[in-house]
Amino acid sequence: MAFPVTFLAKTAPSSRRTLLKWGLVSLGTAMLTGVPKALMAQTGGTKALTFNADDVGILNFALLLEELEAAFYPAAIKSGKITDPKELDYLSALGRHEAAHVKFLRGVLGNKAVFQTSDLSLNQPGLNALLSDRAKILNTAVTLEDLGVHAYNGAGTSLTNPTYLLAAGSIVSVEGRHAAGVRSLLGRPVTEMDSERLVQNADLQANINPFKGRAYDELYTPKQVVAAVGSLKVLNNPINGSLVA
Amino acid sequence: MKLCFNWMGQPMVTTALPNHRFFTLLLNQFNRILQHILAPAVSAVLILPLLLMSLFFAPTAPAYAQSATLSPRQVVEYALTLEKLEADFYRRAVAAAQNGPLASAPDVAKAALVSYGQDEAQHVTDLSAVLRSLGGNPDAVTIPANPNYQAILGRDPFANPTDLLQAGQFVEDLGVAAYKGQVQNLLAAGEAGKTVLAGALAIHTVEARHAAGIRFLRQTLLNADVRPWIRNASEVIYNENRGDSPIPFSTPEFDGYATREEVLALVGPILTAAQPSTMTPDQSVAPSSQPMRSTNPSPAVRGLW
Repeated sequence: MAFPVTFLAKTAPSSRRTLLKWGLVSLGTAMLTGVPKALMAQTGGTKALTFNADDVGILNFALLLEELEAAFYPAAIKSGKITDPKELDYLSALGRHEAAHVKFLRGVLGNKAVFQTSDLSLNQPGLNALLSDRAKILNTAVTLEDLGVHAYNGAGTSLTNPTYLLAAGSIVSVEGRHAAGVRSLLGRPVTEMDSERLVQNADLQANINPFKGRAYDELYTPKQVVAAVGSLKVLNNPINGSLVA
Repeated sequence: MKLCFNWMGQPMVTTALPNHRFFTLLLNQFNRILQHILAPAVSAVLILPLLLMSLFFAPTAPAYAQSATLSPRQVVEYALTLEKLEADFYRRAVAAAQNGPLASAPDVAKAALVSYGQDEAQHVTDLSAVLRSLGGNPDAVTIPANPNYQAILGRDPFANPTDLLQAGQFVEDLGVAAYKGQVQNLLAAGEAGKTVLAGALAIHTVEARHAAGIRFLRQTLLNADVRPWIRNASEVIYNENRGDSPIPFSTPEFDGYATREEVLALVGPILTAAQPSTMTPDQSVAPSSQPMRSTNPSPAVRGLW
């Protein structure tokens, strides 16, 4: 399956001025230039993704999750396993939303993005296993969206730039809506039972989880999110760096 | 400043929208309250934006950030007020679903009301504990014994499933925006705000799940032209159009925020005594036991009405 790279070329002009407000680099070159190939850490031809424990690292990490989601939905639709018009409508919308999040985060990061979409290597058999039938697809969507919520929430207390925090908040509630929407399609409750969580109570980091249980979307550390992503077996790229250590 | 004008201006230009009546009602009530506060009544139309600015908008506030800086304790008091209101709203909805006007609602909707109400009650319990740990008194954060829920739609929202779900959607979407509107205040508090920020984030997305769940029910059960996410800024009662922000809040892919002042202006009429002119005869038991404070509308009011 190919990643949808076309949206990169369609980057809206919205935002040179606004991006400068973020105190980041200019947009023009940012979308086109990646890290020089010679500097890339290579692992068997697959680029390792390195996330530092700072705002830029967190945004890059969020970008990775958005890329995975943005790749999943078009593949889910293309699988032909989803035939209900309402379900197709939802998955199409989610795919558009995630692509917009990718575009937004790449716009913010500019040349501080640590990988390009084309650097990501998907594990095709792993992905196919998630696309085997309708229930698998929709439940995987729930897993991805729930995980995205926990991941953004977990990153929220580490961000230092208030605009990044507000942007993360603006995105994460949409991910929560996605999770609830697909859960509803499946007849599952919109909120997450403890037993459904990929990180169990005992493993939740205490200082960022004053509240636990169904009424809360607990905060996962990036390291916990990496483990959860690994369990999905969809990404070949090694992940490292101080953020996920 | 612009936020205020935008927000004040928006309801005036959305006359064709279904929530027009809600806006008008809220604005009328808010105007009335302010006029009451400021004895020599000046034209409310002219003075209201100026008042709001002078009262609430710190001159140093970033153009696209939130307005007044609240302490973590103030944020918790404010959040607790909203949660108490939400919990009360669902308690009444569940009661109406058991043997009242909502008894005919589908089971899936009834189950959602019960579940969401339990979540809000849990938020009240846990935020109360946090407030105590910050030296505050959760029992001093009160809502009226009989909130004026008619202010939401201009009629009893518990009378039928259609109105209940529409009102619930407005309330939950606003709740999401309200929590989002406090994250920068909590970040600004540094380490002192970290636990509250973590808790607020953990609640924030659950409110989004509730909002999405209600939206799904409206789409599925009532054929409403709505999705779990916000496709158009006109679907919500707060201002999603923040022109100065680099974040495209008004698009479906991003959710907007609301400042405390904006939320209180919207929620105030629910939390204050029903005005005689808006009451219907069968509403005679509704007046609040907690009249709006008639003096000192300064930020010292915090989450208390």
